[in-house]
Amino acid sequence: MTRNATHPPESVAIDVSHRGRLRTGSDSSRWLTYALLLAGAALLLIPFYWMVSNSLKTEAEANMIPPSLLPKEFVWANYPDALAKMDFANALANTVVITTLCVIGQVLSSSMVGFGFARFRFRGRGFLFMLMLSTMMLPPQVSMIPLFIGFRYLGMIDTFWPLIIPLWMGTPFYVFMFRQFFSQVPEELVEAARIDGASNWMIYWRLMLPLSGPVIAIVAIYTFMFTWNDFLGPLIYLNDPDNNTLALALNAFKGQYGVSDAQLLMAASFVTMLPCIALFFAAQRYLVDTGAASGLKG
Amino acid sequence: MINLTRLCRALLILATTAVVAWSFLHVGLRLYGQWWADRHDPRTEITILHWGDNAEREIVASLVEKFEAQNPDIRVNRIHASDYDAKLNTMFAAGSPPDLFYLASGHLPKMAGMGLLEPLDDRIERDTLDTDQAWLDEFYPVLIEAFRYDGQRIGEGSLYGVPKDFTTMLMYVNIDLFERAGVAVPYGGWTWERFDEAMRQIARLEDPTGEVYGGVFATWPEVLRQLVWSHGGDFFAGADFADVTLDEPAAQSALHRIRRLRFDDKTIYNATTGDAQGLGEQEFYTGRIGVVGPIGRWRTPRFRSIDSFEWDVVPVPHTPGAEPRNVIVTVCWAMSSASRHKEESFRLLKFLCGPEGQRLTARSGLAIPPTRVVAESDDFLQPDQSPSNARLFVDLIERAQLSQMPREAEFARYLGEEVDQAIRLDHLTPAEAAAQVEQRWIEEMRSPLRNRAFPPMRWGLIAGIAGAAILSGVALLWWWLRKQKLGSIDRAQERAGWLFISPWILGFLAMTLGPMVISLLLSVTQWTSMQPLGQARFVGLGNYTQLFTHDADFMQSLWVTFYYAALAVPVLQVAALLVAVLMNQAVRGIGVFRTVFFVPSVVSGVALATLWVMIFDNEKGILNRVLGVFLSPLHLMAPDWFGTDAEVFAIPAFVIMALWGVGAGMVIYLAGLKGISVSLYEAARIDGAGCIRQFFTITIPMLSPLIFFNLVMGIIGSFQIFTQVYVMTGGGPGNATLVYVLKLYREAFEYHKMGYASAMAWILFIVLLALTLAVVKSSKRWVHYEGLR
Repeated sequence: MTRNATHPPESVAIDVSHRGRLRTGSDSSRWLTYALLLAGAALLLIPFYWMVSNSLKTEAEANMIPPSLLPKEFVWANYPDALAKMDFANALANTVVITTLCVIGQVLSSSMVGFGFARFRFRGRGFLFMLMLSTMMLPPQVSMIPLFIGFRYLGMIDTFWPLIIPLWMGTPFYVFMFRQFFSQVPEELVEAARIDGASNWMIYWRLMLPLSGPVIAIVAIYTFMFTWNDFLGPLIYLNDPDNNTLALALNAFKGQYGVSDAQLLMAASFVTMLPCIALFFAAQRYLVDTGAASGLKG
Repeated sequence: MINLTRLCRALLILATTAVVAWSFLHVGLRLYGQWWADRHDPRTEITILHWGDNAEREIVASLVEKFEAQNPDIRVNRIHASDYDAKLNTMFAAGSPPDLFYLASGHLPKMAGMGLLEPLDDRIERDTLDTDQAWLDEFYPVLIEAFRYDGQRIGEGSLYGVPKDFTTMLMYVNIDLFERAGVAVPYGGWTWERFDEAMRQIARLEDPTGEVYGGVFATWPEVLRQLVWSHGGDFFAGADFADVTLDEPAAQSALHRIRRLRFDDKTIYNATTGDAQGLGEQEFYTGRIGVVGPIGRWRTPRFRSIDSFEWDVVPVPHTPGAEPRNVIVTVCWAMSSASRHKEESFRLLKFLCGPEGQRLTARSGLAIPPTRVVAESDDFLQPDQSPSNARLFVDLIERAQLSQMPREAEFARYLGEEVDQAIRLDHLTPAEAAAQVEQRWIEEMRSPLRNRAFPPMRWGLIAGIAGAAILSGVALLWWWLRKQKLGSIDRAQERAGWLFISPWILGFLAMTLGPMVISLLLSVTQWTSMQPLGQARFVGLGNYTQLFTHDADFMQSLWVTFYYAALAVPVLQVAALLVAVLMNQAVRGIGVFRTVFFVPSVVSGVALATLWVMIFDNEKGILNRVLGVFLSPLHLMAPDWFGTDAEVFAIPAFVIMALWGVGAGMVIYLAGLKGISVSLYEAARIDGAGCIRQFFTITIPMLSPLIFFNLVMGIIGSFQIFTQVYVMTGGGPGNATLVYVLKLYREAFEYHKMGYASAMAWILFIVLLALTLAVVKSSKRWVHYEGLR
């Protein structure tokens, strides 16, 4: 990760050095490690292989007993067929709109609240912070029904709002991550900005947010993954097929009367998960190298 | 190299920006179009909801188009849904039901019983007077009767829908297989004994492409009824649904036969994955199934694309001496009682059920038109196409009988769950299953919630108390805050702090605290979302006692969810920790392995579920194919995960799925591992501690705060398992995978019992609270907080 002068001198927990790496000496243990790694990797990749391989089979072959391991002929047309069948473009647009708004809202609200908890002293702060943390333990089902009724009275059923608004209110876990990060920004930096005449808002917007790139990345990625794949929310709140998200469109694929066209379903599933995989590769340094645990420390 | 990375990143950003911009444009234009139409289109808007494949979509679309052309004052918003029941249910729950919608005859008692349907008799009578056309008289009388309901019996009372089509129940046969086995195709009917024999002969055939089966049965309630009727039995005796007769010899012989054919003779294919309604079609399609049924006409269009063998339709087998009865499944256009445009909706309904729609439906081959004139025309019989015995569909209507069902949807649920235990899982004997159905049904009918009269919920009083409580709470808080010394805090800072955390405060009040209080209040009421809140009844702890004493499904869902959590939480944490240790080894190429181990965890939701359905499939899936290679030398069988072995293996299957996403937990532990100072290990090594000892005395204690956090979140998360189960098994087979949130979702959004579901939500909350507190309490003994400092 890049570090620059504005970065706090003390490691902000995001920075993970390699000091803790175990050194395994002998050759035999090295071989054992490789064997385990390879076996695990193979196991984890087989499902992907199975999906792609099935997505290219003919209908008859996809239903063969026992199954064939490799398609006899590659039916690339399954992909356009599957996308047409699930009305992909429309579902994609809906999902992208919902996801984008959720990610923006999540990052803004969680960082704001985190900033508030980290850098201001006010009466009741400790109590409120503990209260917030304890709401992490609440199962969302407890509020699901009243929220549904509430959104119904507001006339928001079959709109995107019920899926977006809750993410603009700060999510405890991400607030916590931001708070941990902001708490460790040296006070001198903030003081310097204040002397230069920066308001609280400017300190948040111009100083804190630009500093917190890695945390923003992690929060954004996790929110993206959650929203992109969310099923129960859209299932309850969206009715008109025009409003379908990808998850709903994929489920609708199964149809009222059982799975037919398994090969098309596999193609559609694969295309649906592709953006998540692409995002992963684009952002993997945040996810794998620095670790989502960074915010948990301290 | 760097340039290439930069280029890739630039392209990715460009593509992402383009997609996002296009999406907003697309959605924006659509919303604007809707908004514009709502404002400027003077026409009345009617919403209709229907299901169907492409052919049916086109039929409805073309009819709607014609109707709009003839009726310039009406605009039709046509909604097509594949996941139809869920969609219809949520639209009703949302208080915005479609004006007209498809309603299958089997759902009539439940829907009419809840008062959701508009009676049509008056409108039809007036229409008949106005137009001087008794158009309803052309319909088969039994189809009209199928949509009459008086609160008790189908066939009497008000008319709630006009049939658009119907089908009788029969069987599709693979003529080639019959001929190869030397069995005559039973065009004139057959007895069950002859059927058994035919199954044996066909199943004996060999085929290079795989196992040949005599047949495959579908067993959803209407089909089951056909099977029971053809053995001379029925579900109930008498008119009041009090006497369940599944335990009588005739019904028992039907269940015994299915069970025997599937599990003893093994001549009938026991398809196991997917939901029960889809059984048979794919299997018949492969050409290695002799008979599929009893099912209706709706398979015909798809089977017409079969070119590898000849097929036809024959009657369902019968028992000599039993009264010949045929189940009809019919679908009508029904009007919702909440429709705001009943006059216009009725005009559309009449048009949709008219001769034009009937002819289009007939030609598509999908169903039988509801009037004799069209059903007996070549539009339907289509003599040049399969099945050549198409007349049988029409002839069977002579034997059609209404299939009476109670309006409480619970009966069909108990029937499905318990009978599945006998004939799909071979877990209960047919007699036990019948006894279970009857016992659960009687229990439900006798439960206090159904029989006692409850006072209305006093919302006014509650609102008053709540208002007073909130006011005094705020006052108390204010007083407490004022009492505290300001100290070095200045007011401006305090105000800014509150301002910055205000989004969360707002969210907490509006989306957490408020809903929790309302949910607690709802949990002591009996209220369906179809009624205004004012009609809720106060039942005290009635919902809670009902759950624990009268609802076997609730206990089952608790058990299944505990089973999942007890398995998933430790397995996942141990796996994540071990993989993290593995990933922390300093070997070449470890970065690639980290990527490979992490990437599956980004896949979740419906895509994940549909993928694993294919992997776990007993016969078509890769898992059992691979397991078979290892297990067959040991004379073991790979488990039929979601089929006959579901009772034990379905939940572990979900754990295996979760294990695929081990990367998510792994990265957390990996980051923790990297934070452990290497000097600790060096000191241990000098003291002579081996690898394993180091792991238990250094790694685990140092990671204990992370383990603690993951444990708590893991417990909470695993109690919320929903999407996988909803998509993969729907809680079945039987109720082997009925997890807690699925049961809660059903109570709330299928049966619309919001009070009951709220009680479930609170029980979940209390259970999780207890478990979390237990972990927190124990944590003092094993969590070392110096670990991550």
